[in-house]
Formats: sequence, structure tokens, C-alpha cells
Amino acid sequence: MSDQHDITPEQLLKEAQDLRWEVGGDFHEKLMETIYTDAAKIAERAITRPGEKSNFDLDRAIDSVVTSRVWGFPIMVLLFTFIFWLTISGANYPSKLISDVLLGTVRPFLKTLAANLNIPWWIDGLVIDGMYLSTAWVISVMLPPMAIFFPLFTLLEDFGYLPRLAFNFDNIFKRAGAHGKQALSMMMGFGCNAAGIIATRIIDSPRERLIAMITNNFALCNGRWPTQILIATLFIGALVPAHIAGLISALAVVGIAVLGVLLTFVVSWALSRTVLKGEVSTFSLELPPYRPPRILQTLYTSIIDRTIYVLWRAIVFAMPAGAVIWLSANIKITGISIAEYLVNFLNPVGILIGLNGVILVAYIVAIPANEIVIPTVLMLTVLITGAKGFGSGSGVIFEIQSNTEMLSLFNAGGWTLLTAVNLMLFSLIHNPCSTTIYTMYKESGSLKWTIVGALLPLGMGIVVTFFVAQIWRLVANIV
Amino acid sequence: MNDQMKIKPTAPCATCPVHNAANLKRLGVDMENWDFVVALAGNPNVGKSTVFNALTGLHQHTGNWPGKTVTRAEGGFEYGDYRYKVVDLPGTYSLLATSLDEEVARDFILFGQPDVTIVVVDASRLERNLNLALQVLGITNRMVVCLNLVDEAKRHGIEVDQRRLARDLGVPVVPTVARYDKGIDDLLEAISEVATGKVLGKQYRIKNMPPRLKNAVEQLAGMITTLYPGLPNARWVALRLLDGDERISEAIRNGELGDLTKGMEEFSEPNLEARMEVHA
Amino acid sequence: MNPDPLTALIIGILFLALLSFLFLPDKGLYFKWKQARILSERALSEDALKHIFLCEQENRKPSLDSLAGVLKISRDQAANLLNHLETLGLLDVSGSGFQLTSDGHDYALRIIRAHRLWERYLADETGYHAAEWHDRAELHEHLLTTEAVNSLSSQLGNPRYDPHGDPIPTATGGMIRPEGIPLTSLPVDKVAKIVHLEDEPEMVYAQLLAEGLQLGMEVRLIEFSPQRVRFWAGGDEHILAPIVAANITVLPLKEEEIVPSEIGEPLSSLNLGESGEVLEISPSIRGAERRRLMDLGILPGTIIDVEMRSPSGDPTAYRIRGAVIALRIEQAHNIRVKKVRQEERQPAMVSKN
Repeated sequence: MSDQHDITPEQLLKEAQDLRWEVGGDFHEKLMETIYTDAAKIAERAITRPGEKSNFDLDRAIDSVVTSRVWGFPIMVLLFTFIFWLTISGANYPSKLISDVLLGTVRPFLKTLAANLNIPWWIDGLVIDGMYLSTAWVISVMLPPMAIFFPLFTLLEDFGYLPRLAFNFDNIFKRAGAHGKQALSMMMGFGCNAAGIIATRIIDSPRERLIAMITNNFALCNGRWPTQILIATLFIGALVPAHIAGLISALAVVGIAVLGVLLTFVVSWALSRTVLKGEVSTFSLELPPYRPPRILQTLYTSIIDRTIYVLWRAIVFAMPAGAVIWLSANIKITGISIAEYLVNFLNPVGILIGLNGVILVAYIVAIPANEIVIPTVLMLTVLITGAKGFGSGSGVIFEIQSNTEMLSLFNAGGWTLLTAVNLMLFSLIHNPCSTTIYTMYKESGSLKWTIVGALLPLGMGIVVTFFVAQIWRLVANIV
Repeated sequence: MNDQMKIKPTAPCATCPVHNAANLKRLGVDMENWDFVVALAGNPNVGKSTVFNALTGLHQHTGNWPGKTVTRAEGGFEYGDYRYKVVDLPGTYSLLATSLDEEVARDFILFGQPDVTIVVVDASRLERNLNLALQVLGITNRMVVCLNLVDEAKRHGIEVDQRRLARDLGVPVVPTVARYDKGIDDLLEAISEVATGKVLGKQYRIKNMPPRLKNAVEQLAGMITTLYPGLPNARWVALRLLDGDERISEAIRNGELGDLTKGMEEFSEPNLEARMEVHA
Repeated sequence: MNPDPLTALIIGILFLALLSFLFLPDKGLYFKWKQARILSERALSEDALKHIFLCEQENRKPSLDSLAGVLKISRDQAANLLNHLETLGLLDVSGSGFQLTSDGHDYALRIIRAHRLWERYLADETGYHAAEWHDRAELHEHLLTTEAVNSLSSQLGNPRYDPHGDPIPTATGGMIRPEGIPLTSLPVDKVAKIVHLEDEPEMVYAQLLAEGLQLGMEVRLIEFSPQRVRFWAGGDEHILAPIVAANITVLPLKEEEIVPSEIGEPLSSLNLGESGEVLEISPSIRGAERRRLMDLGILPGTIIDVEMRSPSGDPTAYRIRGAVIALRIEQAHNIRVKKVRQEERQPAMVSKN
């Protein structure tokens, strides 16, 4: 027989094992050293440096400004204030435009069409009032801010600024047991938590990446800003004289966002010291050279990316939610709709934590898309209170343009300042939307950490609102 | 129907694709309708995704940020008479499997046996990037070096003599500026030459190894060659075994490594000896 | 409709307290209960076998008292345990003493193998601090089946030593005899290498860790007195009580083995604009983190330039083989470099083409 049959795989592995013990434990180190030595030699022979080495200076000059002790942090603050301002104010007009088209023009057209074709009322209701409406809603609320926020972010990324941001922030995150790059995924989270969770890919250390994923939900996303702004304007702004109402309500919203950042640090700190302390942790952060971004191409790619993403999310998650909302308000058992049963059932719990049954039900059916919480709350409030003159039928989500009308509806629903404050808190601290949960599962590949990521904020939210409510009432009783 | 089947050659030939469809399928790559599979490897942040986009015309988002592509992206292009499937691997500093990304990249190059592996290197940080290129070269000689970002290197006062580099590495080296589509035609040409077997690189052997290690590697590589004649990267496998790489031990135990030599024997033996011609 | 807020508040606080009492990681009742379940009778027997085995290894005589002390049980319980082990055929009780049967010997080796492999695993593949390895392995050794131990071993590349320098028995029961002498027996001025750091008792081990002592470090004894042991190791002078120093095992080096190595200074001590040549990465950087640093090109001989510091003081960015990479101060502190003056480093940059 030939030599081939003289060796078995087992023998080979045995021999490898013996040799391995012989060559000793520093094999990996020696191997890396040899490869790098070879690489250095080859590189040395191939490289010529005709120019002076002074050309590195542009990168250094930019770095000496953006990472300087004096300018580093102010530049970041200004840059991101600008981006958020542009996102929030710039999104208003296109949002209104999309909503005018989808809700103001297309929907009446569809309704007329359905009426002319003699489609049964329940199909018309389920498809147009339920599914179409919520899908259109999510698109008009989410698309414009996403299509502004993310391309701007992408430009900064292409330029090479973002790693510097992580570099500047790392010390703070290190104290919370996290990675400086979490600053980036957190910023992305202000746009969309699911995108923020995908962005944690840049964190190459397993422990810190999990921390960044689980805490991303504490970054107040685009879908929750409108809720915060509305409630702050209606309830907090109303506490102070009219000329400073705008400022105070804006401060309240910023306060909530800052609270979210603080919670990110606190929860990161707690996770890294308890359940996650066994996960591997490594740190390295490459600061790549600056590159002039290809602005038009980047904007184009990024806007297309975001549009596709929002459409996908609206269709996959918001459309079924719309169907559920409509059905729950229209399927009646002994004359009372499922939604009403649910609201009544959850009302005691809601009241206990300073909210109410309507809000809890809205948060349950709006798990797929946080942007429809307020329209759902309005619809349910009308359903429960029987208020006349709002919306266009049970199960049809809607928004009211006039603040006074909205306030009177909320008052009819039994809302107080405590309800408003707790709603703002709960909107910040509750389970992430289903897109985010799904993304977390896909990215972490772990059911366990997905469950932690979903239930931890929910539990915290209930605890926080509960204590706020009790202390609030206690103080109110005394005063 | 029967006639058609007879006409089809069953044995691999020198110009035919060598990819083993079964293994690729296991790695999640469907090779139906494709003639060749091209893997794209490189350090993080060297413009690998940009090269991918330039080759495939896709608009995968590329960022100036290390570690953007974590999952594999796929695309394709046609060049000459063949259709090429391009698989963008995660950017890694090394292939020694210290992280999930590295394992994904390493497994694809080793077990997927791509017809061509493009290693994208940053011309301004050549030494660091060659570390990865040399590791890939230990696994496969069907490699093309895409010397990217030559404009940036020039700005930094660095010029790379690609002929010299190609001679030292023993594989084609193509300078490109992928962001502006410069050099992509040359890259396509080089890919097709390696894919069709017109040009073949030579196996790279790590020099400067301490004698103690060298002896161990030689001894083990000898056994591996006896066990798996035709395996093109016995020395590399030996290195991995000495480093205690459980994935490779596993591949030996379950026969995965042995499978790699199927279809290789006829194909690679004569060509392995052939020295490639360096084209500039 | 509303419950009285004060009552609700108190109930809420009590509820939270109860929850944390039950589920607090490492301290809560649930955790304690899980731990207690592991520490069943079987675990006690296994620990007893291990204790007797280690006593035999070190030529000490195990006694009922030593056993009761190690397992934290009463003398009566210890006596019962010994009877139990005898009926299982693992122990020979003859007259005053007792010793392991051949079966008992094998069993003990298996547990020690599981313990040391698990410590190796914790050191290389997880982020747990060195001070936690022993206690975690002490629990986990009882949970691993023989197959699990074997597959763990091959997954780790069949290591020979645990992270404290103790040899790991092989699957067939072979074990390298530990070499070396206690640091306290080393003659003054002789150079030796640390081969083992005893991880028990915990307090002493914590002290060794705090001194920054590592396996593989070279040591030289400066002074030995009943009050204190003074020695050089890793570029620093250390002073320990003899009873602590006795937990360090060293292997005296022959003349030709002593490499005149430079100690250098930590990378973290270089200022902006300065450069250093890497001498070594300290052994305290292990596993994934160590390999990552090497992948980045931080290897003996690599020149590192200090480029810039974060406005918050940490991390610092270094130019390493052409790329700018930020490292935290804890990492930089564990990379030893030799300062290179700029004039010396310039020629290397110029191509010899």
C-alpha cells in the first residue's frame, strides 16, 4: 500500500498535540511576529516616499481641533444640536405634505371607491380605516425625520468624524462599563432604535456590544419625540405664562431625553457588573484617516435606504397593528367592544401607576409602532367617553389639529398633570417596539438577551411610574 | 435530454471553475447560474465595500468606519464570457479566528474555496494590510491584491511600486481608486485571469520563522500532505493545528478538510508549479 | 378607587426589596438556592476526594480535622462522609489514617481536571476577574460530565496548565509533576521564574494579584527575614510577609537561561509625541484581548508613536504600523516599551530603495 494509508487523522491530531506542547505556549505570538516581520520587509521594499512626510498634517490638524480639550466637546454639542434641530424642524413640512396626500386625498378617494363598489362595511373598515390608515400614518410620521437624520449621520460617518466622537466619549462610557462606540449607537438610537441596534455592530467586544443593544431603547427615538412634544406642550407648557410656554415644554422634552441618557449609563453600569460580567471584553478603536465624503452619492444611497426601511417597517409591522386596532374597537361582545373590555380591565393597574387603561391598551396595540400611540389613545378615549364630534368612527385612529380640543378630550378622559408626566416617563421607559425587538434578536442571536432587552425597560417603566404616582399623590394630599 | 447530459463534461478541467458547489452551498452561497465565485477580503476601513460596489454596481452602504460589513454581502457581475458571484467578507485585521468576523472570513476562504480571493489593501498602510494578505496567501494562491486608495497614499507622500509588490507576493497586484472607479477594469481583467487559470500565484511561505517552530511546521505539514495529497495549504493547516485551532481539528476529524481535495487533484497539481507572470 | 398612596408606596418598596432579596445576582436567595443545589452530597464527596488527593500529592497526611476545615462541615459530618466514600470503594480507611483507592484516585483526578480546565476557560474565554476564577470553578467542576470536560479541553486547545500554573491532568490521568520551590527557599540574588501562584486562601491570592505578580515573571530575592521577603519582579520591588511569599512557586533559572531582558516602561508613561519600541505585552492581558492586540500589530519590536489624547484624558491614540488606534490606559499600562528617541527612529522611515 502507499504511504497515504500509513497515517490516520487521529494520528495526525495526536502528533499535532504533541508538537504543540513541544513548541510551547507563545506559538501564536511568535507566528504573528514572523508574519508581521515578513509583511514589513515586503512593504519596505515596495514603498517609496518621494514627497516629504508633512502631508499627514491635514488629518492631524483636524484631529487636533475635534479632539482638543477646549474644542472637542463644544464642537460635538453644536454639531448634534444642529442635526437634531434640522431633523425636527425640517421634518414638519414633508410630514404634513405626505399626510395631506395619503390621509387627505388618497383615503377619501379609497373610501368613495369602496362605497361605489358596494364593498361590505367591515372590509372597508378593516382594510382602509385599519390597515391603510396606520400604514400611511407611520410613513408620514417616520419617513421625513429618518430621511433627514440618517443621511446627515452618514455624511459624518463617511468623513471619518464618528470614530473621533467615540474617542472623545470613551472615558465616560468606560466608567459605565461600556464602549466609547456606544455613543454612536446611542446617537443613532435617537433616530431609530432598530437602526441603533444594527449600529452596535461596530462594537467588536461581545460584552460591550450586548450592553449597547440592551440599553439602546433609552435613547428617545423619532417615533416617540412627537408624543413627548405633544404632551409637554399640552400639559407642561400650560403651567407657565404663555410667553415662556414653548421654552418650558421644550425643556421638559429635552429633560426626558437627558434622563434617557442617564438611564443608559446607569443600566450599562449595572449590567456590566452583574449579569454580563462574564462576557469577553476587549477594547480597540481605530481612528481612520479623514476622507472627503461623496456627498450626493451618500445622500442618495442613504435616503433610498431609509425610505425602503420605513416602508418595510410600515407594511410588516404597522399594517397588522392597524388591523388589530380596528378589530378590537369593532368586534363587540354583548354590545361592548374588545377594546373597551381591555381598557376597563387594565384601568385599575393604569390608575395605580398614574396612567390609565386607555394608555396601557394603546401601548399594547402600538408595540409594532410607537408613532401610533397618540392617535390610538385619542381613538380609545372617544370610544370610552363617548365624546361626540371627534374622529370618523370607532377603530379609526385620528389626530386633532387644535390643542384646546385635544386638551378637552383628555380632560374628559380623566387626565391630570400626573397622567401627562407619567405618560412622558413611560414613553421613554417601556419595552422597545417590535421592529427593535426583532432586530435585537437577529443581531444578538440570543433569545435570552432579547427578552432581557424587552422586559427590563418595561419593568423599570412600571416601577418608575408607580413610585412617581404614589409620591405625587402623597405630596398632593399633604399640600 | 440524454444527449445533452452526455455532452456536459463531468471532470474539472484547467479552465473550468473549481469551486465546490456543495461546500459553498453549506456556507450559504448558491452557485446556480454563476461560473465563478470571488471572495472579497481586507482589513476594516480600506474601502472594501467600495470595491464591492464598484465591481457589482450595487449600492451597499459604505462607511468610513471600521467593521461596517458584519454579515456577508453578495452581488455579481459579468465579464468576458463568464458570470462572477462576489461575496464581500467582513473586514478583519487577521484570519487567526480571534473573533466571529475572522472566523466567518477564514471559513469562507478555506472551506468555500473561492475561485479568486481579492484582498483589498490600503496603499498608505501597506505593512499592516500585508499581514492579512500574507495570511490569505497561506490558504490560497488564487489571489489578487487590490491596492486601493493609491490617491490617498499619494497625498500622504507614499508611492507603492506594484510590480515589486507583485513579484514579492507572487500574485497580481492592481492599483485602484475604487471611490472614483479608477483601476476597476484592470481589476476585472486580473480577476478573470486568475479565475480562468491563465495566471496563477505561487504559494507564499512565511520566512524568518524560528527553527524550533519551523521544524514542527515542516514535520506536521509532511504528515498532512501524506494524508491529504493535493491539499494546497498543508503548511497553513499545520500552523493552525500548532496554534490549537479547534475548528481545524474538527474539520480533520469530520472529514471536511479531506473533502477539499476532491476535484483539486486533477486541477491544481500542474498549475501549482507554474509561476505566474506578473503583469503591471 | 385609588388605593391610599402611602400604603401603596410602602407595599411597592417592600415588593422591590423582596424581589432584590430573591433575585439579586450573586447575593439573592435564588442564586444561593442554585448554589446550594450544586453543593449537594455528591459535591461534598468530590471535594473530599480532591482534598485527600492534594494532601497525598504534597505528602501531607489528611485528617478528619483538615477535611472538616476545608469543607466547612462538622467533624461528625466529615466522619460520615468518609464512611460514605469507603462504601463506594473510593477510600481505604485503615486504623487512624485513610487513603484513596485506585478508583478514588482516578475520580479525584477527574474533578481536578474539570476544575483546572474551567479556570483556564474562565481566564481565556470570559471576562471574569482573576479573583473570581477559583470560586466559580469550585462550583462548576461538579457540573461537568467527562465528555463535557474532554470537549472543553479540545476546544481550549488541550492546555497543559491552569492560569495559576497548576498542571492539568490529561484525560488518561497523566499529570506533569509540578516543578519549583517556594519563593521563600530561593537563595538571595538568584534569578528565578514564577511558575505557580497558589489561589488559596483567597485573601493571600488577592494580595498576590494586587502586587501585579504574573506567571512567567522573573524574580530575584533581595532580602529574606522572618518579618518580610523583599524581591524584584516585573521591574518593581515587592515586599511581602513570608507566609504570603511562600504561596509563590518559582523555578530557579540556569545562567544560560537568563536573558538580559530590558524592563522598559509602560506605554502609558510615554508623553504625546514620544515613541516606544514594544518589549512585551504583560501576561495579565489574556485570551481574546491579547490576540486582538497582537492582530493590531502590537508585537515585540513594533514602534508605537503617541499621537493624541482624548479630551476626557483617556483613551490615547497611538500610531501603530501606519494606523491610528486608540487604547485605554489599562491596556497601555500593560504594554511595556523601550523609549525611542525621534532622531533614532527617523532613518527607519526613509526607504532604502
